[in-house]
Amino acid sequence: MSNTVNRNEIKAVRVLTPRLQALKAEWEAAAPQVYVDDTLLFTQSWKETEGLPVDIRWAKALEKRLLECPLLLRDGELIAGSLTKFIRGNGTLCAMKPREIMKMVESGKFDRKTSDISSTNIAPADLDALKADAEYWIEHMPKVSSVNKSVELEMGPGVFDLLFDRGMVFEGRGVRYEMDRGLFQNYSAYGGGVAQVSVKCVENGLNYVIGLCEKERERMMAEGDENSHGTAQFLRKYWLLKATVISCEAFIAYARRYAALAREMADSEARPERRRELLRIADACERVPAEPPRDFFEAVQCVRLYHLVCWKESSDRPEVPVGRLDQLLYPYYKADKDAGKITAQDAAELLGALWLKIRECENLVTIPREQRAAPGSLLPNITLCGTDADGRELTNEVSWLVLEAMAQIKLSEPAIYIRYSEKTPPEFIIHALECNREFGGGNPAFLSDALGTKRYLDRGVPIEDACNWNASGCLGYHLDSLEHMGGGHNISQLKVFELAMNDGFDPRTQKQLGPHTGDAREFTTFEQVNSAYYKQLEYFTPILRKFKLLSWSTEIAEGPMSGLRVAMQYEDCIPAGIASREGGARYPEGRACWLGSRGLVDLADSLAAVKKLVFTDKKTTMRELLDVCARNWENAEELRRLCLAAPKYGNDDDFADEIYDELSLRVPEIMQAEVDPLTGKKPLLFIGAAAGHVGIGSAIGALPNGREAGSPTCDAACSVSPGMDTNGPTAAINSATNDRYAYPYAGYAMNMKFSKSVLNTPEKLEKLGWLIKAFMKRDGWHVQFNIHSREELLDAREHPENHKNLLVRVGGYSAYFIDLPPGLQAEIVNRTMHEMV
Amino acid sequence: MEGTVFNIQRYSIDDGPGIRTTVFLKGCPLRCPWCSNPESQSFAPQLSYRYTSCLKCGACAAACPNGAIELLSDGLSIDREKCSACGTCVKACVNGALELKGSVMTVEQVWKVIRRDLVYYETSGGGVTCSGGEILSQPDFVAAIFEKCRGEGVHTCADTSGFGSREALDKILKYTDLVYFDLKHPDPKRHAELLGADATTVRSNLRYISEKGVALTLRVPLIPEYNNSAEDVDALARLARELAPGAAVSILPYHRYGESKYAAVGMKYALGALRENTEAELERAAAAFERCGFNCEVSR
Repeated sequence: MSNTVNRNEIKAVRVLTPRLQALKAEWEAAAPQVYVDDTLLFTQSWKETEGLPVDIRWAKALEKRLLECPLLLRDGELIAGSLTKFIRGNGTLCAMKPREIMKMVESGKFDRKTSDISSTNIAPADLDALKADAEYWIEHMPKVSSVNKSVELEMGPGVFDLLFDRGMVFEGRGVRYEMDRGLFQNYSAYGGGVAQVSVKCVENGLNYVIGLCEKERERMMAEGDENSHGTAQFLRKYWLLKATVISCEAFIAYARRYAALAREMADSEARPERRRELLRIADACERVPAEPPRDFFEAVQCVRLYHLVCWKESSDRPEVPVGRLDQLLYPYYKADKDAGKITAQDAAELLGALWLKIRECENLVTIPREQRAAPGSLLPNITLCGTDADGRELTNEVSWLVLEAMAQIKLSEPAIYIRYSEKTPPEFIIHALECNREFGGGNPAFLSDALGTKRYLDRGVPIEDACNWNASGCLGYHLDSLEHMGGGHNISQLKVFELAMNDGFDPRTQKQLGPHTGDAREFTTFEQVNSAYYKQLEYFTPILRKFKLLSWSTEIAEGPMSGLRVAMQYEDCIPAGIASREGGARYPEGRACWLGSRGLVDLADSLAAVKKLVFTDKKTTMRELLDVCARNWENAEELRRLCLAAPKYGNDDDFADEIYDELSLRVPEIMQAEVDPLTGKKPLLFIGAAAGHVGIGSAIGALPNGREAGSPTCDAACSVSPGMDTNGPTAAINSATNDRYAYPYAGYAMNMKFSKSVLNTPEKLEKLGWLIKAFMKRDGWHVQFNIHSREELLDAREHPENHKNLLVRVGGYSAYFIDLPPGLQAEIVNRTMHEMV
Repeated sequence: MEGTVFNIQRYSIDDGPGIRTTVFLKGCPLRCPWCSNPESQSFAPQLSYRYTSCLKCGACAAACPNGAIELLSDGLSIDREKCSACGTCVKACVNGALELKGSVMTVEQVWKVIRRDLVYYETSGGGVTCSGGEILSQPDFVAAIFEKCRGEGVHTCADTSGFGSREALDKILKYTDLVYFDLKHPDPKRHAELLGADATTVRSNLRYISEKGVALTLRVPLIPEYNNSAEDVDALARLARELAPGAAVSILPYHRYGESKYAAVGMKYALGALRENTEAELERAAAAFERCGFNCEVSR
């Protein structure tokens, strides 16, 4: 299908019409409110359903919220679907982490996941109700963690010393020891993974899926079920299908409540124009999501409802990707356009309305700000472009309009990911860079279309499925309707290195966490240093794998269920009768066996410094260097400067790059050496980035690369350490891309910072486009650009009040600069800016 | 084959088509007062001192074999007469405040840097630019670099003031795909006074390149008070029409990014308080060239 694009028409669209401007301003000015209705309804439902099968209880808890939560349709809104009754409301579920919520209640400080995080208000009556709700769950939550109990039984109590809150060899939320998980062992209905707007469900309508469930139930009752004969799985499936029907029907009913509300408002609406709009909403919400959308408007309304209801169901960690929005909407857009029903301007305004509704969704978070993985990030990723199974490039007019929506609305999210291929129209790339320059925030990011698809093909996924991936989470991606991602368990390579340098002893916790690999102060060759590190890694990898397996096994026994997720993966979950997060997805490996590794760049730089200064140039000794690191460079400024001046990854310098390359080969070899017992397949490896770099940095002492104790580590797996690349962007890319090793499953994001002056003409934008092309040619995976001036950033640190809208790209997300913790701010300021004079 | 180089700039996006690597040669017979690379003028390596990076530790002064460095309370005092640019102090400096500008490199060494970005040239239609300093002062070196590039299919651009012998020019042109040629002043007398270079040689070389049919871009640094008046730009445009009617024209607005580098190599910046061009002046200059039949862009 050739998608001719009318550029002039696109260029002329004004996304922020007066109506949307007013809605945006109203939202921005609204005082953030704590929203409690959903948690109260959830608790009420949970009390009512005591004794029922657990899957049914989850479905009923969603049903209760959808049928009874307050609705809000603001004047001027073109599409319906508000998360709370407030213009700017933030909710949560007490059932998930009551103690943390109680802390917020007691302190009166309610953190949100977005800007001005501590200024959320709560009405006195709501505060009382929230307190009572949290108290109920504190009383009813398990007194012990069954995950920890099971782990302890199998692995002994010593394993806990390795976890995130202790020794931090294993890091990230998934491996915390201190956990306030309320009744349930996982974050949300999706089990730390994501549910997205499912194209297949939108296109078929949920009535179709309900029909499938009912037919399957009838069939199994009439003929039995060949998948589960004679086992308890038969009954699990029986109830799961019923729960799925309850969830889907509740979703449909929720849409129809909006239809009724809109119709009622229309009845008393005096302005004929507004009345027509309300009736259009009413018609659409009666139709979708039960039946397929009939036009562009209904499709947009449907996307809004999917995003919203997934969010509500997830409640605690609702990272709901919007998916390939241009591909989903284009058929409706084209049909309407051909029929003369809409113009590009109409569509742009509707996309703008959708954009605002998605951005409005916020929630309370209970992790302290400085520890937070992704401050300010809600991760409703939108993916554009890409090629199909036949290699056709799919950029269309909606792709262009989505870029316009981003550039013109200027909000931190949604983030856009462009699936870049050789065939992506160059003018689209340039326009994307233009939008980035105007908008800031490193948005959009570019992912390699070829590499993304190839990774699935390499796993044996057929091309028809493999080509349909979209960005999700902070640096992940997954297949729409076919894959359940989430819940990776990470290892901190820097802690492993620190242990190797201390004979397995952890200076911070004063415990022998690793095996004895020799006194590094006595090492006489670089090979000994290397070998001690790899021995430590070989020791910890199986422990991490087993820990993950045991945690997951107990999680699934007690964790929440998502009927919607089953519905969205109906082709696989329904016949199998297994929920998506329990492995019912067609490709469950991402849920089951995802191991993560963080800290490679600092590690490579540290090894390079050791090799260069101790063994090549003999400017220091192992003993001196490690002693100085142990006292955090105190009285050793000169040695620290030598360390900082040692070869660094990111400069196209073979000395450092060869070390990085070796790590990139050997770490996966070790971490993926054995098949995952649960799936019988090679575990997926995530070479991570932003989400953990502040956290892991806090537990690590000074390192030979010159880094000070406790400071954040490099923010991405292949970005250069801040300020350490001095040979320009091509050199940094040469270091970061290398076809000598196979890329891991995900991560490997490359952050680059450019000054606006490098992008101030169309020719220079075009050159940056070519830089991306070369990056992808060299098998790069993910690249994103922060475009601003250093002065601007420094001024924002001094005068945050003048830079409320300054967006920066951190790892897999954009955030308001002024909201970032000071350490992260400093790091961004220090990232080398590629600037030409 | 060796030459003196003071910088190799990768991802160079202002010196020709596509993504390029620009090799900056050291040494120039001209003394344009607006020069933004003062470290390019002397043919010999020079010690550069960045005050803001100096820890005032005195290690350099102690190391200097010539007694050229003195540590004062507010930084270093470098006696340029005594300094032999031997680099001993650079090695002693722990904070990178001292740097040697200019090093002798072989063609092979330069090529090793160039070849690392082959994929970017190929992807972007870019290549290699040799700039200065003045490339005509090191013609054999530049020719050898370009010959190597040609052999590997890399596009070559020669950025020159045009002040050099015909023989030198011919050596380079043999392997040159595109010439960037500076057009600095219309009046021969002022040209000689201001730049210290005879205008006749420059003009004759320009006409020669143009007539040879090598792709040519004229670069016009537009400097307030020097060549920025309506009369000057008209005269420049007419001169260009006479000498190189088929060339493209690029106007380079005056900037003072080079100012801080003067002090670092112990030189004085002559244009002290000179203002930048106004937008109207840039447009006026562009219009003058357009009236003479040129495609003219203002480089930003």
